[in-house]
Amino acid sequence: MKIHEKILTHYLSCTSPVDKEGYLYKKKERTSSYQRRWFVLKANLLFYQERPADRHLLGVIVLEGCAIQHCESEGGLFAFSVVFRGSGLKTYRLAAENQLGQECWVKALLTASHCYLALLVRDLGKQYEAEAKRQAGPGESSQHSSVTGQSSEGLTQSMVSLNSCSSSFFMSVPVRTEGGNHRGSHVLQAPPMPSKVTSKRSPKLWPKRNAHVTPINGPVSAYGEWPQVDIDPLEDFTKLHEYYGEEVKQLRAEWLKRRQEGENYLEKDLIDLSEH
Amino acid sequence: MRFNEKELISLSRQPSERAAELGMRGPKKGDGTVVVKKKLVKLVVNFLFYFRTDEEEPQGALLLEQCRVEREDSLVFSIAFLDEAERKYLFECDSQEQCQEWVDSIIKASYEFMRKNLIFYRTEIHRLTGKDPLEQYGIEDETRFQVTSGLQPVQKDN
Repeated sequence: MKIHEKILTHYLSCTSPVDKEGYLYKKKERTSSYQRRWFVLKANLLFYQERPADRHLLGVIVLEGCAIQHCESEGGLFAFSVVFRGSGLKTYRLAAENQLGQECWVKALLTASHCYLALLVRDLGKQYEAEAKRQAGPGESSQHSSVTGQSSEGLTQSMVSLNSCSSSFFMSVPVRTEGGNHRGSHVLQAPPMPSKVTSKRSPKLWPKRNAHVTPINGPVSAYGEWPQVDIDPLEDFTKLHEYYGEEVKQLRAEWLKRRQEGENYLEKDLIDLSEH
Repeated sequence: MRFNEKELISLSRQPSERAAELGMRGPKKGDGTVVVKKKLVKLVVNFLFYFRTDEEEPQGALLLEQCRVEREDSLVFSIAFLDEAERKYLFECDSQEQCQEWVDSIIKASYEFMRKNLIFYRTEIHRLTGKDPLEQYGIEDETRFQVTSGLQPVQKDN
């Protein structure tokens, strides 16, 4: 199959945003040795080359229909895999130099698929419309609960269908659960029984505002149905959202702190100027 | 350049909302004639796959980013990639409606288009409610969803 390389390389080099880049180790398929490569994540495409300045691209991984898994540490590296579902399909073994890098990359790859973005946009679109409608009629307080009910239903239904989305996350290392109490703060639990889900109301009550809202202009252009990709749901969706729950916020706060300390340390090494 | 071909082929087999037999125009020949070949054209995520008739494996895959989709005439639309100004891929449809539907679908399929919409909704919801809608998913710090992302390249290693 021809992949029209020039289109890909042009997309990589154009001014659209890079979602993440950095060095990672990639395991060679046949041998078990890791090679250091410069990775660039853009949209649902993970490009890799030898060095950042290289014009020659070694390859690209299209991130659809894959799961991201933590792996056991190998040789001091923090490993994770990109596992494609389906018989005969590949698993890419990657590794970061430290745990922070591993977590950041895993999270970035988890949110990379087109499928994921499509559902997220659909969700937010519904939230937006519900909110805009609500603010258009401040006197209609009786409709308030039905609108939020609708939006939370729409949310949960969309997020349930995220279950069929390509990206998912399996923890081989058990997550540090705090008695599971972080579940309660999210409507988006998506348990297997739809009836359970729809009976929950959104815990977030939007504060009432005055109706001096400017006329609502649509987004970039009016959108109808998003292209849908139906992929067999195999992942445990609740695990995905546990990962995205309160748990992660705490971890990330810690990482950011550690990272800042790490950055300060690096800056001291590289820069001779005194800090202000 | 290496790519995960098998996985991409597997992706091309997923059910898609938009798949049809269209006439794909080949490059102009020396004598000025153009050959149109019927292909099964299938839109999956931000890729346009095209298959030779009755073949299981796609002949090719076009990434639908950084491209301009246009109506050429009532039945024909084109996709021009911004790198090769010369190379326009032309597709002939059976009806005007079908042609317009394809144009709309391809535009909406672009990841960058979707990202812009996401940023719009995020900004608007935040403006209307004072709350960042991405916080509930714990993804508010992800580079790809930042408000500036749709406009300019982001710095390294966020």
